[in-house]
Amino acid sequence: MAKEIKRPAAPDEPDLLPAMGLFTILIPMLLSMTAFQKLAIVEVTLPERSMMNLSDDPPPEPDQQSLNLSLAITSDYLVIGARGGFQPNVYFKEMWTFRCKSDGQLITHAPEDVKATVAAGKGPLCKDGKEMDPEKYMYEIETIELWSLYKESEEDPGRVIWAVYSSQGENVPDSVFVDGNNDFLSIVGEGNLGLSPPPALKKPGAGTAVATLAENSARKLRPEDAARSIIYPLSAYDFIAKDLIAIHTQFIDLEDADNIIVVANDDTQFDKIISLMDRSKEAGFTKVNLAKLGG
Amino acid sequence: MARKMRKYADDTPFSLTSMMDMMTIILVFMIKNIDAEGQLVTQAENLILPVSTSKVQPKEVSLTVIVDNNYVLVDNSKIIETAEVLEQEDLLIAKVDSVLKERRETEKEHALTMGLPADEPGNIIVQIDKNIPYDAMYKVMATCGFSGYNNIAFAVSMKDGGEE
Repeated sequence: MAKEIKRPAAPDEPDLLPAMGLFTILIPMLLSMTAFQKLAIVEVTLPERSMMNLSDDPPPEPDQQSLNLSLAITSDYLVIGARGGFQPNVYFKEMWTFRCKSDGQLITHAPEDVKATVAAGKGPLCKDGKEMDPEKYMYEIETIELWSLYKESEEDPGRVIWAVYSSQGENVPDSVFVDGNNDFLSIVGEGNLGLSPPPALKKPGAGTAVATLAENSARKLRPEDAARSIIYPLSAYDFIAKDLIAIHTQFIDLEDADNIIVVANDDTQFDKIISLMDRSKEAGFTKVNLAKLGG
Repeated sequence: MARKMRKYADDTPFSLTSMMDMMTIILVFMIKNIDAEGQLVTQAENLILPVSTSKVQPKEVSLTVIVDNNYVLVDNSKIIETAEVLEQEDLLIAKVDSVLKERRETEKEHALTMGLPADEPGNIIVQIDKNIPYDAMYKVMATCGFSGYNNIAFAVSMKDGGEE
């Protein structure tokens, strides 16, 4: 009699229902504790002498041994002042970067172009050809960029300065590279207003010694970092940050070496103030005060 | 020829393995984003906070003033229209000042009851939309200082969502 071959029994699936029950409880609990957008605070120091003080007492004489550092922003330039003197103006061209809802891509336009488009009843144009909502475009501004300009005179409209930046992807600049002499790897752009990147500006290759504005950041570029570097307009914030770091290092012994006053005019957007406060704090100026330009 | 319909056996068990895989992925994602310390500041509606490199977290719950494109709010109560703030010449926003002074007095009374020093400057967190002009921000800040809230902090979104 032929022996019947026994088929191996299908392996029993473990009972996953209790684990599923546990997961079902865990997920809503974790969901309630999850932070998708973390918030922080930026502290500001109010002057001891109240701005609302209406007494006729004359303000105290400025201390000659103090740095009295201020950082002013106007609609066209940034300038550092100290001890009654001012450094050269850092001129900039303001640009707005939007994230389009239609394709999730970033687009950059000059504010005057955006305002003209919106005045004509249209929205800023996305890369996929669709228009943004002209009534809600302000909410889609991802970043307000200040592109540094090279000007030969006050009347000169200026040309955009281009620099090499590290990038984490999506062609978004992260940290600007400087060379061994702490100079930006930068060249003035070509074409109208220097809006075309200069062909002479090359990305540093793997193994090139570079640094960023951060402390102790000198290193040789790894191949993957060299591949990710991008050529992008030099930010006026970076330009000013380099000067602020140099000033803080030079005058570290002064009593008010950690103090800075950010001065702005009435229509400066809050975003710019926070960016300047960030750069000041990163440079070592921990006590940031605010004042009005001409006020 | 009629196509034969494949019939599943009635006793085929319902497989939860794929569901478990999905749950595991969700669980790992949630654990990665978990904020065990909790948030003492929550973002108000109708405004976009500026992005900052700051990682400073508020130490305690403080009174919050919100300035969006339409209104100035104190503790979520609409006090005055932002346009009205921009139009006025004075630094002091009277309506906001009266509300803040009232709150400051309550805080002082509470501090005295608890046996804490009442004369220390008050803490306040200001949430301002990133497109609000400096003029409005400056007036709000001056009003806070005038009302006794000298420790002012601006709420910001952490860069890259706060990821290291």
